[in-house]
Amino acid sequence: MAMNIMSTTGCLLEMCDERFELEDYQGGVPRWCTGCGDNAILAAAQRLCRDEGLRPEKTVFVSGIGCSSRFPHYMKTYGFHGIHGRALPVAEGVKMARPELTVFVNTGDGDCCSIGAAHWIHAVRYNMNLTVFLHDNKIYGLTKKQASPTTPIGTKSNTTPRGSYLEALNPLTVTLGVQNVSFVAQAVDWIPEVLFDIVKAAYRHKGLSFIRIVQRCPEWLPDMFEPWMRDPDKVQLLHHDDGLQFSASLSRLYKNQLRHDPSDLNRAREIASSLEPIPVGILYRNPDVPCYEDLLRSDKLRTPELTRAVLDAEFDKYTIRPQGSEKMQA
Amino acid sequence: MDADTQAQVAFFLTGRRPSECLAAVDGLDLRPALFAGYRELTRLRYDFPLVLVGGRADGLFAQSLSGLVDGALETVAQGGEGERIRKHVLRLELEIRALAAAGVVKPFSALWDEAASRLTKTADKSFAEDLRRARAAIKFDGEVADCDTALPSRLLRHGWAAVQKQKAEAFHKDIGRLALKLSDILKADYERSDAGRSAKRLKAAVGASFGDTFDFDAMSRMLGKALPQDAFPPSRRKRICDLLDVFGRQQFFPALDAGTKPTAAKPYSFLFESCAEALQAFRDRMPMLIELVKAITVAELEIDGQYVESKHDALFEQFGANGLGQQDLARFPDYLVCVNAGQLQAVEQARLMEILSSSFPIKVLFQIDDILEAAPTGGSNLDTGVRTRQIANMAIGLNTVYVLQSSSSNLFRFRERVLRGLAYRGPALFSVFSGASAKASGLPPYLMAAAAMESRAFPAFSYDPSAGADWASRFFLEANSQPDLDWPVQSFAYENEEHQRVSEDIAFTLVDFIAGDRRYAAHFASVPRAKWNGSLIPVDESLTRERKSLPDKVPSLLMVDEGNVLHKVIVDEKLIGEARRCREMWHSLQELGGIHNSHAEKLLARERSAWEERMRQEVEAHAAQAAVVSAASAAPAAPEAASPPVEQEPERSADEAYIETPRCSTCDECTQVNKKMFAYDKNKQAYIADINAGTYAQLVEAAENCQVAVIHPGKPRNPNEPGLEELLKRAEPFL
Ligand SMILES: Cc1ncc(C[n+]2csc(CCOP(=O)(O)OP(=O)(O)O)c2C)c(N)n1
Ligand code: SF4
Ligand code: SF4
Ligand SMILES: [Mg+2]
Repeated sequence: MAMNIMSTTGCLLEMCDERFELEDYQGGVPRWCTGCGDNAILAAAQRLCRDEGLRPEKTVFVSGIGCSSRFPHYMKTYGFHGIHGRALPVAEGVKMARPELTVFVNTGDGDCCSIGAAHWIHAVRYNMNLTVFLHDNKIYGLTKKQASPTTPIGTKSNTTPRGSYLEALNPLTVTLGVQNVSFVAQAVDWIPEVLFDIVKAAYRHKGLSFIRIVQRCPEWLPDMFEPWMRDPDKVQLLHHDDGLQFSASLSRLYKNQLRHDPSDLNRAREIASSLEPIPVGILYRNPDVPCYEDLLRSDKLRTPELTRAVLDAEFDKYTIRPQGSEKMQA
Repeated sequence: MDADTQAQVAFFLTGRRPSECLAAVDGLDLRPALFAGYRELTRLRYDFPLVLVGGRADGLFAQSLSGLVDGALETVAQGGEGERIRKHVLRLELEIRALAAAGVVKPFSALWDEAASRLTKTADKSFAEDLRRARAAIKFDGEVADCDTALPSRLLRHGWAAVQKQKAEAFHKDIGRLALKLSDILKADYERSDAGRSAKRLKAAVGASFGDTFDFDAMSRMLGKALPQDAFPPSRRKRICDLLDVFGRQQFFPALDAGTKPTAAKPYSFLFESCAEALQAFRDRMPMLIELVKAITVAELEIDGQYVESKHDALFEQFGANGLGQQDLARFPDYLVCVNAGQLQAVEQARLMEILSSSFPIKVLFQIDDILEAAPTGGSNLDTGVRTRQIANMAIGLNTVYVLQSSSSNLFRFRERVLRGLAYRGPALFSVFSGASAKASGLPPYLMAAAAMESRAFPAFSYDPSAGADWASRFFLEANSQPDLDWPVQSFAYENEEHQRVSEDIAFTLVDFIAGDRRYAAHFASVPRAKWNGSLIPVDESLTRERKSLPDKVPSLLMVDEGNVLHKVIVDEKLIGEARRCREMWHSLQELGGIHNSHAEKLLARERSAWEERMRQEVEAHAAQAAVVSAASAAPAAPEAASPPVEQEPERSADEAYIETPRCSTCDECTQVNKKMFAYDKNKQAYIADINAGTYAQLVEAAENCQVAVIHPGKPRNPNEPGLEELLKRAEPFL
């Protein structure tokens, strides 16, 4: 009987809990360009925090360097504006030391896929319980338009004045190819309803949730997303009973939809490689992949005595010889 | 009716036995024929004795000796020597069983050694080696318990202790964590205090090696200037100290450092032999328990930095005013009360009922040693187990008690259910028949207990309120043999007078069970072989007959004497009446267990006849149709599947200005144009806040800037706005 019922104490305590409004999560006024897709991502993150009742002092946004990496400044939570390419390892460290915190990561296509690519691969494999936003505007925004690994071939930029030579890297297929991948989704900043649903599903997934968000940079690539803005059929919404379900009004506008079971990894890889239309939704989800922090967690209480004993044992491995004794040895 | 039959019928009706044609059963030392094979129990491999394995709170907390041996043989008795090893080890098992049956109480490992040393004296060398190998393959150890009077309480205490040990570990882990974190808070506060920043303290923190390198006075002065504004409130410090004090004083679990700290309060005992005492203790300790639960709850909040005096002080003032919930109680020890039905006085019985109707975590072992004792009322009914069985039935009726009824012979099979009952959040009743009245029958307790279960005198069942909402999930009756029958039927083989092997299916009824008890000898009479005739019918058959006239058949059963010679014994009507009552009770259990459910059967019968009627009509209609070739009649069209409700969008006229807010991607374009006209809603998506706060020109500009094209400027409101003609043209794509 009554096994899973919430206790009276629990109910009373919850009544004392603080309620939060969107303003409680709004930090500094964003310095992003008007029209920048990062604004939509910020709105979705703040809405998530409010709807899930995340306590600001128990929530951390960690970023690297770039326009998108300014994100933590605009959240009234804890934040860590890190160094270029290192958002993920910093976030992993935070999570390891303070597993009770909710940790988000904001990283750009340059930050994650270029200088931070090694960290990205290993973070996916470690599968720590983090929610990662890859703000993919396909360009280095902050440093004023240099080609990034996700810049489409032929794009003219300050580093590729004659157009880029290489085929763009696909962050989805790369992530889906790493061992232990547990959640991969794709969103676009201009469909806020779906962006929010994806962010929510990602947050609720236990493990590393990787969301690649196609993000507009009107400053440097004003025409890049024109075709997608004009033709809704260039976006393919992925729906499933175990994935997202879309409202009727959204479905009237976005008619191009595909039923996709997020537990099907091979199909996810296939869909992820499509560039035209671009898939939007949950590509893959596997709740059974263990989290690294859980594998490592120990039942032992870290008392000062334990810490001292471990340190002493470590120090005992070294012998301090009295001064001058090296000579005698030699 | 011949004279012999007449005498038998007379006995059946009156219980009086004319000595010339019927013999008394006293002194014949008869036992039910089906028991013929169980004369020497220690020679059989069965569930007992058990090994009560220490430190396990799962299904392995009790294991059977033969199970352990089989497990070992599976790994050791391989290859060419397999047969020899098996023989040797089984010989040892026999010896251990004999030792346990003789009442030797020792751990399994010690009994093994003792049995081995007895046998190896006379055996060859391979014997000792085989035993050594088998022993090495057995990884468990614990007290050995045979199926005797003590078994129910030994097994329950053992399981209970395992559950409590788990709870104690979880508790200490929790309290340890809480205490450490609370002390950390106090420590952090100290580091910030004047004392914490004194030169002396700073020097001590740096250690000996570099003690002279720093000017600690200067450091202390500097740090003192930077003292934080938000000082630690003294009320919080006091609260935290009080919490630590409550943790230190608790007596519900033995303190971890009890050995080194003799001042630690003596832990409570949770084992009782009286319901009244257990209840009293539970009530007396309640205030301390509430204090402890409260302290744990407050500590969690403190550690999380969530304790807000303005909110929580009042809440915790009232804490526990209505007692504690089962969830709160669940982490604390359960009370275990072992009582014996034979010694239960009226007061105790009332307290027992009080426990069962409560929600307290009190587990009661209600041990019955004799279910065939004489009725205290001395009425005309015999009291074959009815009084003692009532308790379990009543407890089931309360719906919130975990109830387990079982003969001790079946306890091993019920071990996981026993454990589940011990872990249940709330009261549990374990009604166990020990079979220890065996002295009245000369049978070993195991056989007596098994016979009680087999004959439906003491069926085994469990009722687990936590297993689900309905009886099908909660009630379990399948442990009884052939649960869908009135009485279990077994085939019985014997040699007849012509030395032919004869096999017969016989039902084991309540009467067979009672026949083994000498106190009921007067209700039985042995029929001399010469007078075995067609009027003797089995008991189960006689139960199906209704007496409408003078009976011409007499119920009888097969029994064997010491030399395994077969006897036919007739029974008087009184016992047959008892058997009928027993069968009725079994039927109600069957219904609860979903076997022959009368409601379901009635419904089934009704549905079946309705179906048959429908089929009949259909066949008739078909025949009629075939005869008349009728014009093809169009089948009525199937009603269209109801389309899912479509969310209605507000009707808009093309003149009205609006934003498709859910599609707004928060890009700031429109709000940059006019902050008063365009604003963000609670989800930070734009809407037209005040259409009069700006011009039509601004509306059009915003619509053009909006990359997701969700701003619709509508028609101008001010016909005098300059440049309207051009603006209207620009607005066209967004209408
Ligand atoms: C180690 C290091 N190398 C290079 C830079 C210069 N730098 C700053 S931001 C940036 C690229 C940012 O691109 P992206 O991660 O896509 O972020 P966006 O601005 O597009 O959001 C670079 C190369 C740096 N800050 N640190
Ligand atoms: S440069 Fe591009 S990415 Fe950076 S803020 Fe401006 S629009 Fe956004
Ligand atoms: S311009 Fe469009 S997308 Fe941007 S804030 Fe205004 S309505 Fe939203
Ligand atoms: Mg970028």
